[in-house]
Amino acid sequence: MPPADLRGFALAEARLTSFDRQFAADARIQRPDRYRLLDALPPQQRRIARGGGVSYVAASFGDDAVSVDMRAFDRLLAFDIHTGLVCVEAGARIGDVQRFLLPRGWYLPVAPGHPRATIGGCIAADVHGKNPARDGTFRALVEELQLHVPGRGLLSLDVRHERDLFDATCGGFGLTGTITRATLRLTRPPRAIALRRVPVDDLAQAARVLREAANARVLYGWHDGRPAHFGRGVVRIGLSDDDARPRKHDASAARDLPATIRPLPLPLWNRHGIALADAWLSRRWCKPGLDVIDLTEALFPLNDARLYFAGYGKAGLAELQWLLPHPRFEAFAAALTERVARDQPRIALISSKLFDGITQSFAFDGKGISLALHLPDPAQSSQRAFCEAVAELAIAHGGRPNPIKDSTLEATTMRRAFADFDAQRAALLRHDPERRFGSEMTRRLGL
Amino acid sequence: MSAHATSAAASTAVIVGASSGLGRALATELARRGQALLLVASDARDLQALANDLALRFEATVATLALDLAREPDPGARILAARGELPPLSALLLPVGLSLADDDFSLPAARIGELLSINLHAPHAIVHALLPALREARGTIVLFGSIAAARGRGRNVVYASAKRALESLYESLRQAHPPRALHVQLYRLGFLATNLTWGMKLPMPASDPADIARHVAYRLGKRSFARYLPRRFALVAAIVRALPWFAFRRMRG
Repeated sequence: MPPADLRGFALAEARLTSFDRQFAADARIQRPDRYRLLDALPPQQRRIARGGGVSYVAASFGDDAVSVDMRAFDRLLAFDIHTGLVCVEAGARIGDVQRFLLPRGWYLPVAPGHPRATIGGCIAADVHGKNPARDGTFRALVEELQLHVPGRGLLSLDVRHERDLFDATCGGFGLTGTITRATLRLTRPPRAIALRRVPVDDLAQAARVLREAANARVLYGWHDGRPAHFGRGVVRIGLSDDDARPRKHDASAARDLPATIRPLPLPLWNRHGIALADAWLSRRWCKPGLDVIDLTEALFPLNDARLYFAGYGKAGLAELQWLLPHPRFEAFAAALTERVARDQPRIALISSKLFDGITQSFAFDGKGISLALHLPDPAQSSQRAFCEAVAELAIAHGGRPNPIKDSTLEATTMRRAFADFDAQRAALLRHDPERRFGSEMTRRLGL
Repeated sequence: MSAHATSAAASTAVIVGASSGLGRALATELARRGQALLLVASDARDLQALANDLALRFEATVATLALDLAREPDPGARILAARGELPPLSALLLPVGLSLADDDFSLPAARIGELLSINLHAPHAIVHALLPALREARGTIVLFGSIAAARGRGRNVVYASAKRALESLYESLRQAHPPRALHVQLYRLGFLATNLTWGMKLPMPASDPADIARHVAYRLGKRSFARYLPRRFALVAAIVRALPWFAFRRMRG
């Protein structure tokens, strides 16, 4: 039970676990459901905003901070059907927002795979969607946002007012304040997505296919992670198709991937399980072909991945995601292939994407090809050693890590990966000199 | 940008305490059913956000009134004045309440007054003011009591007293009006999953306010009654009342 003097501040304790299951903590959680409760915590109380709680890493709890659970702030505040602007509270789930917008002829082109991610979380993590080379990252959609800062109240930010704080908040991991609402620019959706499959023999070929399809609405590769077949896979290229009739797809909220997935008692992703799954996926996907799918199916592919995530068992997974500059990608891919052949790690999934943005702050953006590797049981010594080897290789080839995905990243790796680490960190912390915001993730990364 | 409010709702429901918990769930459920709404709560920011959301999602007609029930001498008059162009009144729902952790004979007089203002004076004053319009519409008054009022204990002292007084208001309303002239419904609520119970270790699961709201909305405009919700709390209340005094005195928590 919360202490008597904190009743009404909606403060309680609960055990929280990161989505990748690499970190768990008994956290104090404040659950404001009214605006005045945003001011209920003492101003000096260390805190961090929490949205859907679906970050791979512990971005919304830990480090003695009170987690401010923003899920009650999930209302639609304004929508202009003519100009394509929507204003929503930060706790609104992106799947719900898309379900509201799509029948009205609009959508958010940048959406992470999990429909329970909140708008505030998407901004704070500056997430990317199904083709960041075409659509950019989430910050590209943000016209204006409102930030709660203890002692200063609710601040309205955009590129004209408090530009510095606005920029630091987008991709700022919640370290500048608690995002309470945002106005977002929308895009007209296609009626359907014609999803073409292009088989590739290796990562270098995948990079070439990705670069040639830069303007597709959906663009990503799936690759086999087994040493004997490393990099073989398929690139999926989704183009707008306003004439086709997509196959039927249940896009209701009831189908959304849960925020917490109960792990299977016996993990699936041992060598045999990975071999079976990859062989099945190779036969099903790695051949030329075309599927016409509903846009919601393309936006939230993780809704079909409940068993996949449960299959990691209690030991969980690590997602290593690195963005390699174009000139260095082929060399990196070759070195990685060699390393995988030598270390024989278990890799359950590899995906590739194309990026064409600018590097700023610690955001996962730039010009190049990203690779995401899902490794089961990352605490196991050989798996852990492989994670470190990937980081070494990526840094040697000019790679940028994705801090919001990778729980194996440490502060020393961050400093080596970001040449301007101290300057970027100082720019972020300038808005919170008293260090009132922080999470396990920001502590681990030395932010 | 502006929210649209284009409902053709034929009547209005007033919800007092609409910005959070059960009140917010009731507003959402009634808007989903096409009811025009006048939402009353203490903070205009919460009300405006909710009103915009309901207008956008359900094309509901929603008006709001920010009112501090702890200090407002005549909340009923303020609500009457705020009806504006809304359709005629058909229902008054009062899911309003405040409980304090230190409501255990240690409250100063001002805090006792605040609790009574919100939990007792406001429902009375609002019912009195809106009664003529509700009678004219053969409308419904929905009062919300609490399991805490089943038997007085050393905690929730003022809150439970006020909630038990609402039982008397319920009886008075029913006694004074023929069944078809006015519907009066009293829900004695068990534990709800709201901020008041957030983090508390409860002896039984808390109900989702959305489930309670669906139940209340479905029975709006139907006959008068008093009942526990969830229904299992009727048994809990009966057991608590049947306990011999020596056993009841030993109950803590």
